[in-house]
Amino acid sequence: MLSREEWLPLARKLDWDYTYVREDEVFPPVISGHPWLPHTEWKDWEESFKTSYREYVDNQYEKDMAVYAVRDAVGRLENIQKLAAPWMNSLKVHAAALPLAEFTGVIGSLRGARFGRDSAWRTMSTFGALDEYRHTQIPLLLFHQLVRLDSQFDWAHKFYHTNNWFAIASRHFFDELTLGQNAIEFAIGTNFVLETGFTNLQFVGLASLARESSDHMFERMVTSIQTDEARHAQIGHPVLAVLMKHDPEYVQYLLDKWFWRSWRLFSILTGLSTDYLTALDQRPYSFKEFMEEWIIDQYLRTLDEFGLKKPWYWDIFQDELDIYHHMIYASAYTYRATLWFDFVVPSPAERKWLRQKYPKYWDDMEAVWEQVAERWRTVGPGAANELGVHGTAMPTFCDLCQLPLSAGTPRKNTATVLVREGRKYIFCSEPCRWIFLREPERYANHKDLVKRVLSGEAPADFSKLLTEYFRLTPDTWGKDVYHGAYDWLAAQKTSSA
Amino acid sequence: MPIPLYGFLEGDTLGLLMLAEEGETVLQLARKLQQAASLRVARVDQIDFIYNGKAIDPGLTVAQAGFQELDRFDVISRGKL
Repeated sequence: MLSREEWLPLARKLDWDYTYVREDEVFPPVISGHPWLPHTEWKDWEESFKTSYREYVDNQYEKDMAVYAVRDAVGRLENIQKLAAPWMNSLKVHAAALPLAEFTGVIGSLRGARFGRDSAWRTMSTFGALDEYRHTQIPLLLFHQLVRLDSQFDWAHKFYHTNNWFAIASRHFFDELTLGQNAIEFAIGTNFVLETGFTNLQFVGLASLARESSDHMFERMVTSIQTDEARHAQIGHPVLAVLMKHDPEYVQYLLDKWFWRSWRLFSILTGLSTDYLTALDQRPYSFKEFMEEWIIDQYLRTLDEFGLKKPWYWDIFQDELDIYHHMIYASAYTYRATLWFDFVVPSPAERKWLRQKYPKYWDDMEAVWEQVAERWRTVGPGAANELGVHGTAMPTFCDLCQLPLSAGTPRKNTATVLVREGRKYIFCSEPCRWIFLREPERYANHKDLVKRVLSGEAPADFSKLLTEYFRLTPDTWGKDVYHGAYDWLAAQKTSSA
Repeated sequence: MPIPLYGFLEGDTLGLLMLAEEGETVLQLARKLQQAASLRVARVDQIDFIYNGKAIDPGLTVAQAGFQELDRFDVISRGKL
């Protein structure tokens, strides 16, 4: 009987020469990706962490049992009910955004499992698909029980099936990154940029936030997912290494495109949770500090390792670290009924902390929160007054990322209008405009929410937009966690009276 | 027919869709944007209306100003341009 060291290399490398069909018929360029190279160029493809199917199953079984054990010990409803209210809403954000996005990763990974150009790559992608299926099932299982506690958790299943504006933006991202992608761009965009660059480390950071918030169930869940990510994310490196020999310019483009697109979504999911939805005394770091320590250093080192350059928009990106997610949070707070989770107004103590962490533009954000607080003072606290502290005009969205036009700073919004072939588009930022113009045929026909409303495809009436198009209800749409009843707000009112 | 425009108010955190009536003045349109963003931005009386990179006469009507559907305009504090 062969030892593991003897049979595993044989099992990993199962390529053969085709005699009845051409290689480009087995691996059509349109779905295997660019550049199309003969297998001789891919034959040395090698993952750094090798595993067999038996080892994979044994390992995953152990991990699943560990998740169940933690759920049984500390993941019961009575445990979840003890969590701080803002953190519960961070959970709702992830409960909705995570599971079905991971399911799109199943599809993308299966494309690699069939159309990846070397058998070892295809084997790794098969494990990756199984991983992503697990990352769909675990959060659905864990979060679904919380519907009994709070109906907003129903959005774990519902989110991607709605035309909620954030769901439109998320689908626009994942449909391109995973569902409709060829094997090479999937490996670069998903495995190399999103997973190696962002989510692998995001899960480490999220686990730390969850631990600080005493949410041991979520901590265990993301830790378990992260160990899978760390394994299948390594598919990206050897793919990139081959591409660099043949078309480094294309590699640079893919990296720059997907880093920006990933940053946009990531800054919202993680930025809001880190700086607003985690209790002040439980924040281990600011979102910017997390980005600098965990994401940026590592990403730049990897670029350097492959002889790649920083993205051309690096200065814009670095500037956004100080402001973008703050612009989004304030915008979303004032349009919270358009979302499926609740928000808080940052208290004076939290704003002091935010000023220390984000001195560059905080004066402008402080003015916004003062104005929001003043409105609560005027209308008074209470659930009945929620819509008195809510936006009424239609927000606007970027034609590339589909997120609100909230880039730049409050003093200078960077949105730009483009006229192309008689149609008008608007982009939140130069990188979004650049991505659109590199592949306009890919994006030009997608309608953002404003254009759907103007064409009659979505209702213009705000209440119908929320209920019929976004599929929210008065029970599930977002509110202020405290309906404006903040001790600090009452104290300010008293002292100013 | 109202003309949908992208309005950006200095101090705000996002752009808003504004429906401009052909007969209303540019100043009225600016005030409409200020009102729509008042939850986030305190009203400023002295303002400039910026269209195509230039401050335009606030007394012009929307029709006279020549706005096209889905153009961008900005409302900023006077003298900031």
